[in-house]
Amino acid sequence: MSFAREVAVAARLDFAEVLRSRWLVFCLVVHALLAAMFVLVGLRESGVIGFTGMGRALMSWSHALLFLLPLLALSATGQVVNTARDDGSLELLLANPVSRTGYFVGTSLVRIAALCVPLWIAMPLMALVGALAFGQEVPWSFLLRGMAVSTSLLLCFVALGLWVSTLVRNQAKALMLTILIWAAGVALIDFALIGVMLQWELPPSAVFALAALNPVQCARLALLSAAQPELSTFGPVGFFLANHVGSTGLLWAGIGWPLLLGLTAWTWSLGAFRRRDLL
Amino acid sequence: MHVELLAIAKHFGRVAALRDVSLRLPTGSRTALIGPNGSGKSTLVRVLMGALTANGEVRCDGVLVGEDRTKLAPRIAYVPQIAPRFAAPVRDVVWAIAKLRGHSVAPIETVAMQLGVDVRALAKRPFRALSGGQRQKVLAAMALASGAELLVLDEPTASMDPKSRGAFFHLVEQLPTATTVLLCSHRLDEIRRLVDHVVVLADGEVAWDGNASAYLDEHAEAIVEVCAQGEPAVEWLLARGFARGAAGWWSKSLPVAERARLLADLGRSLNGQVQDVVARDVERLQPKSGGPRS
Repeated sequence: MSFAREVAVAARLDFAEVLRSRWLVFCLVVHALLAAMFVLVGLRESGVIGFTGMGRALMSWSHALLFLLPLLALSATGQVVNTARDDGSLELLLANPVSRTGYFVGTSLVRIAALCVPLWIAMPLMALVGALAFGQEVPWSFLLRGMAVSTSLLLCFVALGLWVSTLVRNQAKALMLTILIWAAGVALIDFALIGVMLQWELPPSAVFALAALNPVQCARLALLSAAQPELSTFGPVGFFLANHVGSTGLLWAGIGWPLLLGLTAWTWSLGAFRRRDLL
Repeated sequence: MHVELLAIAKHFGRVAALRDVSLRLPTGSRTALIGPNGSGKSTLVRVLMGALTANGEVRCDGVLVGEDRTKLAPRIAYVPQIAPRFAAPVRDVVWAIAKLRGHSVAPIETVAMQLGVDVRALAKRPFRALSGGQRQKVLAAMALASGAELLVLDEPTASMDPKSRGAFFHLVEQLPTATTVLLCSHRLDEIRRLVDHVVVLADGEVAWDGNASAYLDEHAEAIVEVCAQGEPAVEWLLARGFARGAAGWWSKSLPVAERARLLADLGRSLNGQVQDVVARDVERLQPKSGGPRS
């Protein structure tokens, strides 16, 4: 039995689960609605934060995605393994000639595809619609930047969701933990952290470090790195980092750090899944 | 396949699910694993299947299960107690298992048909939408069609109708003599027809280990129920210790060995007065004696 065949079988069965739960359709609808909203509302000349037209619409959409994508990814993956464990499908499948690694890789690939493909379709489509219907010039470099950063963020939170579903057996507890992770991700950016710093008199270095470790914050700064670093748009942490690591550094950090964090969480999950009791 | 479980111990937190359980299943043996709920049967089966880790050793033909499960997996087939709730269509589930085992779906369809379920007709339905009995038949078909050298069956006929159970028994009886079968079951008819050896687990330990006929003699009791009317029949039944029930039914429990003689007597003495007869075996709560132990 080749590893590729194991992965293909696990992926096909999990894809049926994704189709049944309408994740693919749900993601497409969410992206389509957001894109339509930003195209219709955002395609106006504006000097705000240095972007105009399509660039501004894409920037706004990307910012909305920073908060939405982690929630989508965690919801789609936070109960994959523990549900399969509870409903008996894991027990039956792994009693057959398929390795635990094959199952985990197959399932991960399906979940990644279910979340990334709608994004990869919706973003260029939005740009094309803007170009054809509104005569806007497509900012290809920002589009690619937005897609790369969003994909990196998705991969990070898919891995975190799989980590939760592998390590937390109780589905209700897993759901709570995914909500907490999402809340921490979207809350631990400048505003909340500055509030924390003022309230508890934390040293600024600790606050900056915390903010920089947050993949959502990293992704946000990577998106903003296309603009001139201004305190009003970047916030204190972003402004500090932009002036110290530069625009290119922010971009690579915004793509690289979520990827690294995701890879670590995924590897940890796989190790635990292979070692621990299946049931 | 020759299976050895040596000094298996498994704890879930402070609860000892299995304590020093050792079993040997020689190649071609048919063994029933029985015991009350919570006695450790499913845990032992899951340790054998490599789904749970435990202290001790599990070897199949000398190969440690924990070390090389994927090498052994094609030689082992399993029917779990609880049918999984795949969202995938029946066609995909059958395809997946056939693909993993390197054969076509045709043998599975054939066996499923013998068990009374038409896989092709159900192909597009989600596996989870099937009834409990249909799911169990498809699982049994996948296991029986696999050609595995070890069949592990955890209450495989619990949801099947009588006709399908009969077909299942027949299919298991038709397996090659070298196929080793481990059957978790509470049903005495399954034990009588399918196994030659019985292991009883109680509180995570082997409480009884011996051949099937000895187990049945120790633990089984026959119940004979007769529906009869007329004064001679009533007198005959009362004289033989039958208890009166509702709607003309009478019942009596007796040792399994005496059942055949009673039924023969019944046929001779009450010819024409008996409307119906039901004979079945039940497990005796208190065995006649301690019986053999491992």
